[in-house]
Amino acid sequence: MSQRLNNLLTKKNAAGEKVLSIYVTAGFPEKDATVDIIFALIESGVDFIELGMPFSDPIADGPVIQNASQKALDNGISMNEIFDVVKTIRPKSDIPILLMGYINPVMRYGMDAFIQKAAEVKADGFILPDWPLEESIEYIDLLKRNDLDLIHLIAPNTPKNRIKQIDDISSSFIYCVAYTGVTGLNSQITDETKAFLSHLKSNLKHPFIVGFGVKTHEDFKNFTQFANGVIVGTRFIQVLENTPKEKRTGTISNFIQSIRG
Amino acid sequence: MSNLKTKTEKKGYFGPYGGQFIPETLRPALLQLEEAYEAFKNSQEFQDKFKWELKEYVGRPTPLYFAANLTKHYKGGKIYLKREDLNHTGAHKINNAIGQILLAQFMKKKRIIAETGAGQHGVATATVAARAGLECVVYMGAEDMERQYPNVQRMRMLGAAVEPVHSGTATLKDATNEALRDWLKNVEHTHYIIGSAVGPYPFPVIVRDFQKIIGEETREQINEKANRLPDYILACVGGGSNAIGIFYPFLSDKNVKLIGVEASGKGIDSGEHSATLSRGAAGVFHGMRTYLLQDSEGQVQLPYSLSAGLDYPGVGPEHSFLKDQQRVDYVYADDRQALDAAKLLTRLEGIIPALESAHALAYLEELMPKTKSDDIIIINLSGRGDKDMNIYSEYLK
Repeated sequence: MSQRLNNLLTKKNAAGEKVLSIYVTAGFPEKDATVDIIFALIESGVDFIELGMPFSDPIADGPVIQNASQKALDNGISMNEIFDVVKTIRPKSDIPILLMGYINPVMRYGMDAFIQKAAEVKADGFILPDWPLEESIEYIDLLKRNDLDLIHLIAPNTPKNRIKQIDDISSSFIYCVAYTGVTGLNSQITDETKAFLSHLKSNLKHPFIVGFGVKTHEDFKNFTQFANGVIVGTRFIQVLENTPKEKRTGTISNFIQSIRG
Repeated sequence: MSNLKTKTEKKGYFGPYGGQFIPETLRPALLQLEEAYEAFKNSQEFQDKFKWELKEYVGRPTPLYFAANLTKHYKGGKIYLKREDLNHTGAHKINNAIGQILLAQFMKKKRIIAETGAGQHGVATATVAARAGLECVVYMGAEDMERQYPNVQRMRMLGAAVEPVHSGTATLKDATNEALRDWLKNVEHTHYIIGSAVGPYPFPVIVRDFQKIIGEETREQINEKANRLPDYILACVGGGSNAIGIFYPFLSDKNVKLIGVEASGKGIDSGEHSATLSRGAAGVFHGMRTYLLQDSEGQVQLPYSLSAGLDYPGVGPEHSFLKDQQRVDYVYADDRQALDAAKLLTRLEGIIPALESAHALAYLEELMPKTKSDDIIIINLSGRGDKDMNIYSEYLK
């Protein structure tokens, strides 16, 4: 279990505050942009970071993150350079950093080597949407020994008994996909969504954080009525896309404020 | 290697290959599919319906044709062609589409999606969807739409929406990505008819089972014609559904040599090929662990083949297992060799093969000099070449 991440969640919970996390693709928009972007996010009061490890075939992502991933790969970002980002941040900040991506680049790096390296640079864990329970279970102990959290996802169509199973095996928070589909879709919070979130709120042992389709202050407000926090990805990538490099820091700060409200 | 059939130590696995590397959202759909397929397998009514459709609608059994002129040309063993090109819609793909539409109806799905490379699977899916009165969306790489345009027209005639895919290489892998994304969003009411023996479990098993009719018929037919089993069976391998379909019923017959032919594109050392089993390494792609063309960072490499149906960086997980077990020999043929083989077959036998199947034919150049006159060689002629006429016309110039 990551101490940084769990301290954050405990502290926030005790204070009755909600968590705001931002997803950023490593190596985007420029290869060396990521460290500065993360510092700007930390300055703006973001609670934790999802650092995207780009993959050539991101099946759970919509066009915005697909393009950002491809751009980052074209920029030549490598797995070791992504680890370097964490290594650079860590002496100056205790902000939890989760590595998010797809399992193939991780396996290619070598499962054991990857876990070891992540622990060495003091990352806090992983979010790997195409590495479900059944496939990842044999690594649970190794992850625990290295104080790393594997964040599992649940979706609106996940059966109740499986939600419990995932809750039981989780070591930190649970990543709740608010809608079926890929990242970045425009969706409405329907009564069905509310029923699902409300089931999670009453039944989960662990905190849960909503991702996929969270774009505005309105979404932040609506989701945090149920959830412990939200993750914003696609909309943040769009902000980066549309902002000239020299105005980036200021724009990031404004954006984060606009989400928190 | 006592019994190779469905060797699954862990559910959904062929040795270390296969599995379900999928987002949680798709899990209920895969479980539902697995249950539906179990019910299907155990229901005589369903099995009879499937067989009836294959006979009355598809036109099975397809002939096992003795290619006398081709045999004479090579002066080696006797060459037979399993004529999957004579199936309704022109390729083996319809076998799987027929089976899967029955599953979709059983699961009461209202909408069908598919990916397609050469367009053969798209046409087969559009065909069965039209007949079942279900909405159908086919994802196809923009580049493939251009090189296989006649099939795009056929799908549209059949009432399917053909969605061009521009991401990545705009070919089969990207079409599959897009189909998976659609499925993630519409999983409640949509069935994804995957076109090859690839993807997360149970797809590789389902597609194989629907395609194994090819091998079952072949076995019966060669016994009838030659009173024995063949010495060699050849099939092209992209995702590998026609190959696993003809190989599967022969896996336990050790004297039958099975040869899968991948596409080496512009040459196996050119960096532009689709020879996944020859040059790939184990990885995770499209929901399965399998051999994969990838770089040192685990990024999927761009495959290449002139043939849109073989232009895929992964391969069915059962093939990966059969390669490691050394039960099947995986070789390759390049663009030029395939084109030459297509022309040769057309001129000698009056059969224009699909460019995909021509890769299997191309390997005869290497194999035939090693054969004896009483050897029997069977080639799975998986599809017909109408869709490739632009490419062939260009080649003849």
